[in-house]
Amino acid sequence: MNTLEIRDLQVRVADEEETGILKGANLVIRAGEIHALMGPNGSGKSTLSYALMGHPRYEVTGGDILLNGESILGLDPDERARRGLFLAMQYPIAISGVTLYSFLRAAVSARRGYKQTARDSGGGHRRSPLLPGREFRQEVRAEMAKLEMDRTFLRRYLNEGFSGGEKKRAEILQLALLKPEFAILDETDSGLDIDALRIVAAGVNRLQSELNMGLLIITHYQRILNYIHPDFVHIFYEGQIVKSDGAELAEKLEAEGYDWVREQFV
Amino acid sequence: MIKERTYYPSLTGKDKKLELPVNAAAVATLSAHYDEPVWLRESRRQAWELYAELPWPDRKEEPWRRVPLREFPLEARRLVLAPPQLSSLEELPPCWLLPDLPRAHCTGLLIHNNGGVCYADLEETAIDTGVVLQDLHQALESHEELIRQYWFRGAITRPDFNKFTALNAALWHGGTFVYVPAGVRVERPLRTLTGYDAGGGTGLHHTLIVAEKGAKVTVVQERYSLEAEPELNSEIVEIYAAAGAWIRYVSLQNWGKQRYTVSVQNAHLERDAHLVWGSGSLGGAATKEFLRTELRAPQAHALMRGFTFATGQQRLDQSTYQHHLAPNTYSDLLFRNVLRDQSRTVFYGMIRMEQEAQNSEGYQANNNLLLDKARAHSIPGLEIMANEVSCSHGATVSRLDPEQLFYLLSRAIPREEAEYLLVQGFLNPIIEHVPLAAIRAHLAEEISRRFWQAAS
Ligand SMILES: Nc1ncnc2c1ncn2[C@@H]1O[C@H](COP(=O)(O)OP(=O)(O)OP(=O)(O)O)[C@@H](O)[C@H]1O
Ligand SMILES: [Mg+2]
Repeated sequence: MNTLEIRDLQVRVADEEETGILKGANLVIRAGEIHALMGPNGSGKSTLSYALMGHPRYEVTGGDILLNGESILGLDPDERARRGLFLAMQYPIAISGVTLYSFLRAAVSARRGYKQTARDSGGGHRRSPLLPGREFRQEVRAEMAKLEMDRTFLRRYLNEGFSGGEKKRAEILQLALLKPEFAILDETDSGLDIDALRIVAAGVNRLQSELNMGLLIITHYQRILNYIHPDFVHIFYEGQIVKSDGAELAEKLEAEGYDWVREQFV
Repeated sequence: MIKERTYYPSLTGKDKKLELPVNAAAVATLSAHYDEPVWLRESRRQAWELYAELPWPDRKEEPWRRVPLREFPLEARRLVLAPPQLSSLEELPPCWLLPDLPRAHCTGLLIHNNGGVCYADLEETAIDTGVVLQDLHQALESHEELIRQYWFRGAITRPDFNKFTALNAALWHGGTFVYVPAGVRVERPLRTLTGYDAGGGTGLHHTLIVAEKGAKVTVVQERYSLEAEPELNSEIVEIYAAAGAWIRYVSLQNWGKQRYTVSVQNAHLERDAHLVWGSGSLGGAATKEFLRTELRAPQAHALMRGFTFATGQQRLDQSTYQHHLAPNTYSDLLFRNVLRDQSRTVFYGMIRMEQEAQNSEGYQANNNLLLDKARAHSIPGLEIMANEVSCSHGATVSRLDPEQLFYLLSRAIPREEAEYLLVQGFLNPIIEHVPLAAIRAHLAEEISRRFWQAAS
């Protein structure tokens, strides 16, 4: 069975003197499981997600990350993504000049290992081959329709001028097309209006059951968990998971905040 | 649906093959060869005197400071006038052709090779309205007075601008003449191709574009060469937009690896004239360009967009000048350079607002994207004599953004492909201004080729 295993993970910011941000995080996610990760601002949740994806700013100083039993610490982010890891970012990056469509086509072609040489322009290019445009466009449009996204977004530059909610929806569009084995959604719910949250949650649920994904949902609010029901809820505090339980833990946090956690761990 | 159109093609020019050393005798020989009017003979002769007097530019002069003049093949050159006698367009070097460009997308096509015209056509309806797209020598027969009126009249397109322009004025051969009469709107682009194959010599092309009152035209000029040894090129482009004229001039150069070029281009704008000036530099060993826009009357409006992609040991050096001489004028320049390997680019950008230029706006930005160990110099400048104006300039030299790169990688895109997407994205806002999808696609191919060749 597919697993994503985080073992005693210690991470610090590269080139900074300061002590680590992650101080021994442990978590195992199996295919089909939904885990919610909650914790105060600055506790290291985004750092964990970046470290899982291999962001070069975050240096792993100890522990391991295993995907299906194999360490991925030595792999570049693109290789991790091709192996089935996906991160919907808390703050998606805008890229001027690159249209959403050309970006999606390059990404999905790479993820699917598309090999057939696209229109060869001669001169011995090593440009990666791209999925045939017509079929891909149809596929993208179908996914956009399900997420109720206007297809004119395809012509716009990636995340440039997208509203907060539009960016989050575009992240889920990427999730839908890349079809990962494990997805980390870092505060995908923040910035979404009530209707958008419902649409996005329905999309995630659909994909989760279609793909039997393992999910790690990072959130501050119970709200999204009313739509996407977690099997486990974890509390992240000062760079570690300090408590794990069922869905009811999220309700307790919503009602009581983190004071009781702080009291327990100071 | 595109209508059937009638074109009048002529595959060969009247030029005989001619080969000359660069000297005073060549001046008279050329005048005789083209059977030129007296004023033009005189103009060549005076230019030759200037050429003989003037020294080559000195690297102590700021615009020449970083130009590798010592590598330029300045001496012992020869002029070759040898346009191939084509029986079909396919006989041109394949890398000069854009096979995906349907003929019907352009109103006219003019091709020069080795200093002479080898192909020309123009749609019948354009001919009927008085539009001209012709070899400059041939046009002198029908439009002598007009040409004389605009001959070397730009602020920098003058024989005495420097020794290179004097050389061009004395010994130019092969030229492009575009003329659009008052009120005539040429809806589809006019395309002109200036080339030199292995049988060519020193390039001394002269392009003259005149749009009369309220006229509208797009001109795309492409440049190619295949020289076998280092070759010199001194080129002139003059653009004149009369009141209310609209001109889009897209200037693309993809010179061969051994071509050393000085290109002096000047646009003169009258009241309410509108210029969109696109400039793309890809080829050549070393190129120095002077690009000047003169906004001479109220409401003149100019948009300049440029890109370069320098690789290997290439040197691409540009001096731009936005000159506001009248109130309520507007200019906006954005030039973007991508550099890799040990290439170098230099950008001097100047906005000058004269005292008369009240309520004018002038903007300028130059962004450089460095890959590898390349070096970009960007030297923006402002000279403002008026008090009620709005100006800004900005220059950046940067590398690929690591956060953007990570974002693309995290979506499974391999590193080099991700870098390529970012390079494309950097240049796209410039390429967007190029007309005709086939030309944009061709530029994308060229950029891709440069990126991947250098990457491997
Ligand atoms: N690149 C960085 N440089 C310096 N400090 C960093 C960097 N990235 C994270 N940190 C610090 O590490 C800590 C954890 O940050 P992180 O973004 O992981 O928190 P988080 O749990 O996701 O918070 P939030 O709920 O606000 O999103 C914070 O104190 C943050 O300032
Ligand atoms: Mg965070």
